[in-house]
Amino acid sequence: MTFRRKVYVRFIRSNSIHHTPEKMRVSLTRACRFYTSPITPKPSFFSPRAILNQPFSSSSSSSSHSSTPKPKTPLFLKPPKYSATLSDLKKWHNWAKALASSVRSTFADSDNGPDSSILFRELNWLVEDSLEDPSLIPQLGFQNNSQSVRLRIGLDELYGLWKQRIEKRKPFQYLVGCEHWRDLVLSVEEGVFIPRPETELMVDLVSDVLVRDNDGLRDGFWVDLGTGSGAIAIGIARVLGSKGSIIAVDLNPLAAAVAAFNAQRYGLQDIIEIRQGSWFGKLKDVEGKLSGVVSNPPYIPSDHISGLQAEVGKHEPRLALDGGVDGLDYLLHLCNGTASMLKPGGFFAFETNGEKQCKFLKNYLENDSACSFCNVSIVSDFAGIQRFVTGFRQ
Amino acid sequence: MALAAQFLLRIPQLGSKNINFPSYKHRGNYQPLFLSCNYSTNDNCSSSSSSSSSKNYLELTDDELLRGCEIDTYKSSGPGGQHRNKRESAVRLKHVPTGVIAQPAEDRSQHKNHALALSRLRTLLALKVRSSVTLDAYSPPPQLLQILPPKSTIRSSEVGPQIGPNNPKFALGMQALLDLIFAVEGSVSEAAKLLGLSTGALSRLILSDDSLRMAVNEFRTSKGMKPLK
Repeated sequence: MTFRRKVYVRFIRSNSIHHTPEKMRVSLTRACRFYTSPITPKPSFFSPRAILNQPFSSSSSSSSHSSTPKPKTPLFLKPPKYSATLSDLKKWHNWAKALASSVRSTFADSDNGPDSSILFRELNWLVEDSLEDPSLIPQLGFQNNSQSVRLRIGLDELYGLWKQRIEKRKPFQYLVGCEHWRDLVLSVEEGVFIPRPETELMVDLVSDVLVRDNDGLRDGFWVDLGTGSGAIAIGIARVLGSKGSIIAVDLNPLAAAVAAFNAQRYGLQDIIEIRQGSWFGKLKDVEGKLSGVVSNPPYIPSDHISGLQAEVGKHEPRLALDGGVDGLDYLLHLCNGTASMLKPGGFFAFETNGEKQCKFLKNYLENDSACSFCNVSIVSDFAGIQRFVTGFRQ
Repeated sequence: MALAAQFLLRIPQLGSKNINFPSYKHRGNYQPLFLSCNYSTNDNCSSSSSSSSSKNYLELTDDELLRGCEIDTYKSSGPGGQHRNKRESAVRLKHVPTGVIAQPAEDRSQHKNHALALSRLRTLLALKVRSSVTLDAYSPPPQLLQILPPKSTIRSSEVGPQIGPNNPKFALGMQALLDLIFAVEGSVSEAAKLLGLSTGALSRLILSDDSLRMAVNEFRTSKGMKPLK
């Protein structure tokens, strides 16, 4: 609760930057500050922050650029400009519940999708995000309540959304425009990969390395490749030292815009730099200087895509899922590129499809002819599935 | 806080202690676990300050507490990760030495599920694990003093402001209060006297937290007394 309230306060701040003309000027001044101000000291190439503040990074941080897609506002951050009586809301809720009940285990049986109990839970979360005051939820139990409640979405739209959830199997996160991930609430929308709970551990892996750190990794450059909504980058940005920074890369302009939105909402725009580009393509300036490279690249083997649960296969961007014939195309590309990007002692962590890919990659990295890496390890996820490959540059 | 990582890496390590506790049925009637220092490896006991009271699990750090837990997460069928968009990642903690199981309602993030499970476990341990209290020359531990209202006559100003049920430290005070109430066989008036409070004031404190109220009332009912209202 407290957390959500805090988020809302943050939103008011960042939202006003976007919408009021006066604040807009502030925002632009702020964006240009590093490039134009004569007072700004000449950036030293070896200071991470200084590099991030150089002009080539400008396209990411400003939403004023006409070609930059504008991210949608997640439901829970929308202004509560709609209203409905509690009994009308209850009517919708009953209808939505009945629709969810009718699913039973049909989705689960056909493609391992959600069953009714999971849909009920999502329905509660949808109500939570729609109501201005979620503490009214218990009152939904009473019939014939003519008390009016304020909503962030019209009742007719709520009917439409839930229909899409059940009939089109649209992912719940795309209905509400957000995903709760670690202690963050990240904006996501169609076209942007929804961060998974398994990946939450990636931040802990980095955090553990930073705790043991004696090589200045904490204050160096990090890179999150294929950042999507910016989840990993934001998680890591919050555990880095005062001089540390992270570059979040994504090929998809919409993902880059959403990641920038999320980074800004957590006040991390000066620590996270978004670059739109392919893998290492836009990272020449930091070659050999990185403290860490992390990525959750597409790793699903191509022939598995058609069998995915509809929420994933029919709605999430294939670009973020399909890892080629054996799912290893991008993971191998990452392994091959990382040696020259990391500084000695630098850390890497990659998410994989599971045991088979983990073992293959560990073997591949350990038998690298240049002996670039050491301490290559496999780490399991919360369900006990071997999920991550980690290691250090020699 | 590298909570999630700890969940994965810590395998229960207390198995070697061989402590025999009464078997505990999670959903059954209220069966408090009485802990006393009658097991041989009493290194756990030495840390506790006063009286013959036992090891206090609630004083352990999250990390130490987790070392005594088995952690089950929902085992998904299939490969997980990018393949899957399904929230069934509840966390179930079983505290091996006591058998207490915590499985909180599901939150929307895995990270918070872990934190919730741990805080739920702390509350359950406070409610279920009893230590014996010597009533002669009883002096409440500081954790209990902290949850008492300022008007308590045995509470000095050094104790600081009163801690409420939403404070994570409340569990420790609640545990000590329940130890006392069990020692006086459920008599609120007798416990109140020992805490320098009126019976009404102590009742209000007990009623201020649902789990505390339920634990006291269950115990009173088992003793043939009327529940507090």
